[in-house]
Amino acid sequence: MSVIDLLGIYTAYEGGDKPVIKDLSLSVDRGEYVVIGGPNSAGKTTLLESINGLVKITHGSATVCGLDVARFADTVRTRVGYVIQNFYFDPFTPFTVEQVVMMGRFGRLGLMNRPARADYDAVQRAIALVGIEDLAHKSIGTLSGGQQQKAMIAHNIAKEPEVMMLDEPFSNLDFHAREYLQGVLKELVRTGIPILMVAHAFDGLPDIRIRLVVMNGGKITYDRDCTAGEVDGIIRKECKVNGKC
Amino acid sequence: MLEPLIQNNVVCHALEAMIFASIACSILGVIISRMNLSSIGFTMSHAAFAGAAIGMFLERNAQVAAVVFSMAVAALIGPVSDKAKMAADATLGVLFAMSMAVAIFLISYMEYMGKGLSASALLFGDVISLYREEIYALAAVCCLTIVFVLAFYKEVSAIMFNMKIAEAAGVRVKLVYYMLLFIVALSVALSLNIVGGLLIFVLLVTPASIANQFCFNLKSMFIAAPLVALSVSAIGVWAGFEFTLPIVPLVALLLTGVFALSVMLSFKRRISKKRY
Repeated sequence: MSVIDLLGIYTAYEGGDKPVIKDLSLSVDRGEYVVIGGPNSAGKTTLLESINGLVKITHGSATVCGLDVARFADTVRTRVGYVIQNFYFDPFTPFTVEQVVMMGRFGRLGLMNRPARADYDAVQRAIALVGIEDLAHKSIGTLSGGQQQKAMIAHNIAKEPEVMMLDEPFSNLDFHAREYLQGVLKELVRTGIPILMVAHAFDGLPDIRIRLVVMNGGKITYDRDCTAGEVDGIIRKECKVNGKC
Repeated sequence: MLEPLIQNNVVCHALEAMIFASIACSILGVIISRMNLSSIGFTMSHAAFAGAAIGMFLERNAQVAAVVFSMAVAALIGPVSDKAKMAADATLGVLFAMSMAVAIFLISYMEYMGKGLSASALLFGDVISLYREEIYALAAVCCLTIVFVLAFYKEVSAIMFNMKIAEAAGVRVKLVYYMLLFIVALSVALSLNIVGGLLIFVLLVTPASIANQFCFNLKSMFIAAPLVALSVSAIGVWAGFEFTLPIVPLVALLLTGVFALSVMLSFKRRISKKRY
């Protein structure tokens, strides 16, 4: 059984006259590395937020980790990592990187339960994996955009997710950091965790089998396996075919 | 509670009331200022004001009516924000206007009907004529606030950090947020008789803002804010009785003075002059 199973889903925002996602079906299995591309307003972020229940699905069915998203959205979110697209933490934010990474585990801990030894160990592992040990005790608001982005990736790795979704996770990172973190994601895929990554820049993708999904107008227009080197070209071609770039 | 230490009952009650109100409001203040919900202070205080006016109009206990109406308004904030897709701050503005309109409407109507309603106690507070029950209620809400923060510390800290990220992590954001709104409503409604609707803002926002100038982490803010509020309130009560000055405005001015001083002395704003 697939980890993610979307069947004919529609998603609309209040006040919008058209659905953002239309009759979309997608199945993702364990260990898949899915890159989602396409023009702006294609529905890429909405697709990710439909998968973890942050956006309501109006028609169709969505099953993630064996759970019906419409009924168990809270539980689904404890099992799905999601690095959001835009965030800003002001310099007076009273949380260290370590505390923010620990917050990734709060959902799965449940209401009122305190973190135990295992949670602290998971946080340390995530911090080490992303390579931000030197930032662990720094206030997150005082870090650069790229460092904050790394902290948010660690926050989601600490959750020990069954699915990892990232929305333009490398937009603030230099090439070396991108390559390093792509290596981290490759390692997650190797352990069986499927990755769904929305991106606009495709340099530094890992040299593994990549499933490329191109979206346009709320629908999937291309869904095939390819190599890292082919991604950029296919997306450009697909955008041209569909009249948007 | 402080009778063995302070012989004068009026002073003792005023001090106890200010201590409990300071602790409850300043702890909640740390949360609401971080979440940019400071306007909840005046919305809730005016909701309590409207509730008291309804109570008086219906010839029922004004304090109980104030608490009930505030809770009703608190129950509306979250769902209205969600349904109308508005920022909570905008919803607070709408509910503030509604509460104020209800209060003014009833006060004017009662004046027209020949039933006088003195709104000054609700607007400006009256810390020297309190019943024991009011102080017990404040002590209870103070304990409730502390228990809420201790029990839901991780959820509260996550939503203070970023609500969307907390929600994506699977934290029960709505449940904790609605509980927070209820406790704020309760604290404000019960503090209304003491500090008044206009000055409750001082206890909610200023101690948290002072703590924010010096504290680098949330735990220290939750400790520093009530300590500052409690110390300044105690000094205000003492100075008010000693020099025959109005206590609550005095506390408000003292807290504002401490805030100004803390902004000047804050080492969080210091810029390093190191060249290496």
